[in-house]
Amino acid sequence: MPETAARCWISSQGRFPMPDRDIAPDIVPETPCPSRPSLPALAQVMLKVGATGFGMGMVGVLQQEAVTRRAWLSQQEFADGLALANLLPGPIAVDAAVYVGYKLRGWAGATVCLLALLIPAFVIMLGLTIGYLHYGQVPRLHGVFRGLNAAVVALVLAVAYRLGKSSLKSTAQGVLAAGALGAALLHISPVTVVLACGIIGALLLTPQPKVVP
Amino acid sequence: MNLLRLFLVFAKIGAVVFGGGFVMIPFIQREVVQHYGWLTQQQFVDAIALGQITPGPILISATFVGYKVQGLTGAVVATLAVFLPSFLMTALAARQLARLRRNPRVAGFLRGVLPAVVAMLLMAAITIGRSTLWFDWRLLLLACAALLLLVRFKVDAVYVVIGAGAAGFLLERG
Repeated sequence: MPETAARCWISSQGRFPMPDRDIAPDIVPETPCPSRPSLPALAQVMLKVGATGFGMGMVGVLQQEAVTRRAWLSQQEFADGLALANLLPGPIAVDAAVYVGYKLRGWAGATVCLLALLIPAFVIMLGLTIGYLHYGQVPRLHGVFRGLNAAVVALVLAVAYRLGKSSLKSTAQGVLAAGALGAALLHISPVTVVLACGIIGALLLTPQPKVVP
Repeated sequence: MNLLRLFLVFAKIGAVVFGGGFVMIPFIQREVVQHYGWLTQQQFVDAIALGQITPGPILISATFVGYKVQGLTGAVVATLAVFLPSFLMTALAARQLARLRRNPRVAGFLRGVLPAVVAMLLMAAITIGRSTLWFDWRLLLLACAALLLLVRFKVDAVYVVIGAGAAGFLLERG
């Protein structure tokens, strides 16, 4: 389905679709740019991303589809989206997809992107769940689940290692991590611990303003 | 009533998973296994593993929990609830991106949150490991091998999970 090419203007902020009404006087309309896809086109891409990417792997597929193949966003805009996803809670890839949808088509785009991204995973997970609840008790499969158990412990440790390496950069942060572990051992709710550490960080760990010589 | 509770629990989890989908594990364990008893420890671990071999976000394990609690409706509610907070925040923050990135408080908040997240993940690994691996040196060895593959050789998590399942099957028969 051919996309109707919207006229665009270019500013220092990036590329924007031409507004219908008031056109900024000092901006010259550019050549047609391929941005601003239709909602079905967005949905189609997100279905593909959701069906072929695993976990963080979705970020790569999303970039391939939205930036490299279709040029809906510039490399820089996509990188900005990833930075935002890192700041906010939620899976990086889901946040990035919502950002892409919002950037291109506002709230409707964001909603379509989220739902389309989730549909393949939801359907497959539902099937696996029903299968598991039916056959999970089959004695022959016990070994499989014990093996999965070992894998999950390893996965959690691997993520802890990766996150720890990138985020434990000062003594203060080490102390915070140790304190959080202590709190967890005392059965304080993880939500409370994480938010409390965030508040401590916002109060005490703000980056020093750069001194200009 | 159950549906509302399901929604609230997963919306709360969705609002605090800083640092990626895996971070949900300690939260789900606390709320879903220890607090409400919706899943047994084993079912919870299996739900995580299934989420891992399903394409899409890891958080999709919420579907499993929702289905277990309240069938198809529960699955839909839990899934939407867990993604709703990050959806709203991302769309609302997209315009403020430049300001957010410059804000020292935001940076400080994340500097505080991430160490806590690392601690929560360690705690989750301890809890899950203690209930199963501790009593079986072969499983312990399998976990170590899996960790080595993930961290040292950067093997994709999907393959590690599938491989560990197969290894477990063979160990049990042998």
